[in-house]
Amino acid sequence: MTAKQVPLKEGLWTSASDKSQAPQLVASQCEACGEIFFPKKEKNICVNCQNESLKTITLSRTGKIYSYTVVMQRPAEYLGPVPYALAWVELPEGVRIESLLAGGDFEKLRIGMDVELCIERLHEPDGGAEICTYKFKPVHI
Amino acid sequence: MGMTRDVAVAGVGLTRFVKPQAGMNYWDFGSQAVLEALRCADMRLGDVQEAFCASVYTDTGAGHRTLAEIGLKGIPIINVENACSSGASAFRLAYQAIATELYDVVLVCGFDWIPQKGFLPSTFWPEWERRMGFNVQPANYAMRTLRYMEETGATVEDFARVTVKNRQNGALNPNALFQKPVTIQDVLASRMIAVPLRLLNCCPLAQGGAAVILSSTDKLKSKSKPVTVAASVLASGVYGAYTYTGDSVRISNPSHVVVSANQAWEASGWGPEDMDIVQAYDTTSPSELWTLEAMGFCKKGEAVKLLREGVFDPGGRLPVNTDGGLLSRGHPMGATALAQIIEIFTQLREEAGNRQVPKCKIGLAHSMGAGPNSSITILKR
Repeated sequence: MTAKQVPLKEGLWTSASDKSQAPQLVASQCEACGEIFFPKKEKNICVNCQNESLKTITLSRTGKIYSYTVVMQRPAEYLGPVPYALAWVELPEGVRIESLLAGGDFEKLRIGMDVELCIERLHEPDGGAEICTYKFKPVHI
Repeated sequence: MGMTRDVAVAGVGLTRFVKPQAGMNYWDFGSQAVLEALRCADMRLGDVQEAFCASVYTDTGAGHRTLAEIGLKGIPIINVENACSSGASAFRLAYQAIATELYDVVLVCGFDWIPQKGFLPSTFWPEWERRMGFNVQPANYAMRTLRYMEETGATVEDFARVTVKNRQNGALNPNALFQKPVTIQDVLASRMIAVPLRLLNCCPLAQGGAAVILSSTDKLKSKSKPVTVAASVLASGVYGAYTYTGDSVRISNPSHVVVSANQAWEASGWGPEDMDIVQAYDTTSPSELWTLEAMGFCKKGEAVKLLREGVFDPGGRLPVNTDGGLLSRGHPMGATALAQIIEIFTQLREEAGNRQVPKCKIGLAHSMGAGPNSSITILKR
């Protein structure tokens, strides 16, 4: 029986009731200066130009690794497995976001690598529900 | 900018920085450093008119608690928290109070202890990000390091070279946590923390205290070899530059490090080429290199070449981290920036013993902390 999937935090990605629609990350974009912010801003203030002109957008599902690291020690509140890969992913609309990297072959990671959004398990606490989160997975490994 | 008079460093005090251990309290480190600074300045607690006390991992009233070990004089005491720039931020407040003639003698102290091992926690970040393992140091430094390697051709051997240089310098510093040199092989064989940063690329957390007494020049007890403050500046994060999400793609702004450097050159009337020694910020060995570049000591990507040529060695054209830097001293957050300033002072006064750099008249100390913020202090003889 598959465990129930619960997002780590509501609202980070779109979840369509129609399963054929792939999830997309939800962000804010300033209509005055064009800057994009992920996650979506709670307050309607652009932290670049201070205009109150943010709209909600969804982001591309594919991008490139701008930089990454493989973390060998468990930070105090981190819930996933160790070692884990962390990255800044640059998306074509002109934003870099922080993300975990999915997949296990961290040796093959490179700056500039193509990656694709996926929703995956972060951890599975005792009691059944699987906590899931957004990650990016290398396309060609 | 309206500053009216010179501010001198009247005295300094510094404890040995030590590993976290039970039974040693921040107020012990802090008060020990303050007593030493008073002795050095040939002053009494009663001479001090105001105190700025820097710490990060202590409690409310930490400065008050620390000074209460020595006495209570009713003076204004302000506790200052600015992450790793706390000590320099406190120094700047004291400097401003004297430069503007509010007071003649002001105490700065910085001290810290360590609440836990491992990655530095921060409640700055939302809980879901902490659960994702985001925004922990040195992981963010690690991502920046890989990017720096990609853009400049710097190698892990170069970063090991920084550690070797600083650990060699630290071996001559009786106050450093680590006083044994290491080799490049030692660095490259040490435990991986976050690729590509290994244990010996990362500064150890530590406990300890530091203190500086600033005064107007007329209040100095000794007029020999006076050291004065040429600049004491502070900048915070600028949108899009060197922030936590890897910078803006579309907006190009100078980072807080660049902003603070420009302020320092303007305030002092000097440039990087005028500095005789530098305390650069080596929380990780690569950060020494990219911060030297950001401050304008060389072009982007050039620091590695200068490092390899020995320019930053004690005998080189621009000695960097002559007391071993954070990598050797260890890093009690509240004390670190003051320890950097104290090494500059000691060098300018020609009191550095076997660490002495000949003919140094002007020195710069740079620290940067979570915030982010960036502070620069320039002292001159």
